[in-house]
Amino acid sequence: MNAILDIKGLRKQFGGVAALAGVDLSIEEGEILGIVGPNGSGKTTLFNVVTGVYKPTEGSVSWRGRDITNLAAHEISGAGIGYTFQQAMAFPGLPVMENVRIACEHARKSSRPYPWTTPQSLLDFVGLSALADERAGILPFGSLRLLGIALALATRPSLILLDEPAAGLNDRETATLVGLVKQFPEHGISVCVIDHDMKLMQMLCKRLVVLDFGSKIADGPTQAVLNDPKVLEVYLGGAL
Amino acid sequence: MSKPTSPLQSLLPALIVIVILALVPFFGPSNRMLSLAISAGVNIVALYGLSVLFGQTGILSMGHAALVGVGAYVAAILARDAGVGFWVAIPLGGIMAAVAAAVIGIPSLRVSGHHFVIMTFAFGQLLTIVLTNGGDYTGAATGLDLQFPVMVLGNRADDLVPYYFIVVGFVALSAIASWAIINSSYGRTLRAIRENEKLAASLGINVGRHKIGAFVVSGVFAGVSGVLLAYFFRHISPSQFASFPSIYLALMVMIGGPRLLLGPIAGGILVSFLPEVLNLDPVESRILYGVCLIAVILLLPNGLIAGILQGWQALFKSLSGSGDRKAAANSNRPSGASQ
Repeated sequence: MNAILDIKGLRKQFGGVAALAGVDLSIEEGEILGIVGPNGSGKTTLFNVVTGVYKPTEGSVSWRGRDITNLAAHEISGAGIGYTFQQAMAFPGLPVMENVRIACEHARKSSRPYPWTTPQSLLDFVGLSALADERAGILPFGSLRLLGIALALATRPSLILLDEPAAGLNDRETATLVGLVKQFPEHGISVCVIDHDMKLMQMLCKRLVVLDFGSKIADGPTQAVLNDPKVLEVYLGGAL
Repeated sequence: MSKPTSPLQSLLPALIVIVILALVPFFGPSNRMLSLAISAGVNIVALYGLSVLFGQTGILSMGHAALVGVGAYVAAILARDAGVGFWVAIPLGGIMAAVAAAVIGIPSLRVSGHHFVIMTFAFGQLLTIVLTNGGDYTGAATGLDLQFPVMVLGNRADDLVPYYFIVVGFVALSAIASWAIINSSYGRTLRAIRENEKLAASLGINVGRHKIGAFVVSGVFAGVSGVLLAYFFRHISPSQFASFPSIYLALMVMIGGPRLLLGPIAGGILVSFLPEVLNLDPVESRILYGVCLIAVILLLPNGLIAGILQGWQALFKSLSGSGDRKAAANSNRPSGASQ
């Protein structure tokens, strides 16, 4: 295995608060990595720094050996890292088809064979074809999440960052989501997913990273991490 | 309304209206009416640019009359110093206003929302001050005269009727250009920025560059409008491009409906003719404009045309009594809103 994304000593300070207090993390080619942690542990900040929404205070991010620490958000997308947002997943005032069409029109140039090159193929994949002419703003929440994933996939990423993709979804919708995400590695898309939902993480990820107060406190095979006393303490407030 | 229509179908109503407007001189309107119609047409050209900026990209400029002023002064100065006539001034006015928009836009669009509105307002005021203090070059507060004839195929076309046709021609061109932008990949990119800047950036869209680009595009329309204005009034002065004209332009685009292809035509005609029809003096008409602006913002956020369509749908629905759920869902937003 070789790391495609390599994060070293990443620090993000908001005034006196260190949202990220020096995080080292690498994502391997073809894996589905999970990041968990309590609210405010720095998970979303980590994504925001990697994707160029925030500039880090210290540390570096390298992507396939290239330093991408200070690239702007649209350049990160162009480099092959796609991401979805917790909130505001789509363009609410535009029809579903136009949402996906916009994303496809700005896809990076890549010679790699890719299964979803047209808006229609993306809508078919996430199962939203029937809603193609509806305004995204009137979609139910679960469909909106799937549309967000279709938009990120349209950019032809080699790595996709999913920020709480199952938040607000019911069990059936979560199962659909898991089914989709598990197919990504077959198409050369590595995945890094943030969520609170341990059940989801166990279904998706072989490796799990735990953040607490902006620091990494565990990193390893999912089951081992979930049995780690330090992790249990963070989640359950002490040893069982 | 709920079915997406082909792009060409959305252009048709605007073209029909423009053709009808082109027939107006054959009904023998008074000179006063024709003058008002020409100045409305001059404004409509600028409004089409403003609708790309505000309707598509979601950026409001409150200093747009300044860009119109750049076009007008380019026309007057070129005619005076270089003997350059109308047809050459049109593209040059458009280009110079676009350059001015880039100069204003690059620093101003680093801030967004209300801050940008204030920046454009400040730049608009700045231009007035520069023009007023420009000495003989800009004619200071008195402004400049423009003596050049407008020639078409070797004939003078300065009289109201021929000039009206020229202006209607430019209105048609602007509507088609605006329609082409709305239905292009570029237009979709601008709408993406309007809807969600963060998401747009995550999809690889260079948000900052495209916002400046939209401002520059709107500047081209403003510059052309300025040249038309200079050749119509034959005399231009700084006050024509100060804050009030800018506010009127913003008002017209909002009243007409910034996202509809017919919006600029409706807004331009209404705001130009309303005081005349109601026989108001300038002070009264300013009060009326203020009231209209507040009413439109509060009651018809998508503009008058969209509001009428919406009302029509609601009426149709209550008359037919079918309570079609889809129509109800779509009546919240006119079809043009998805443009």
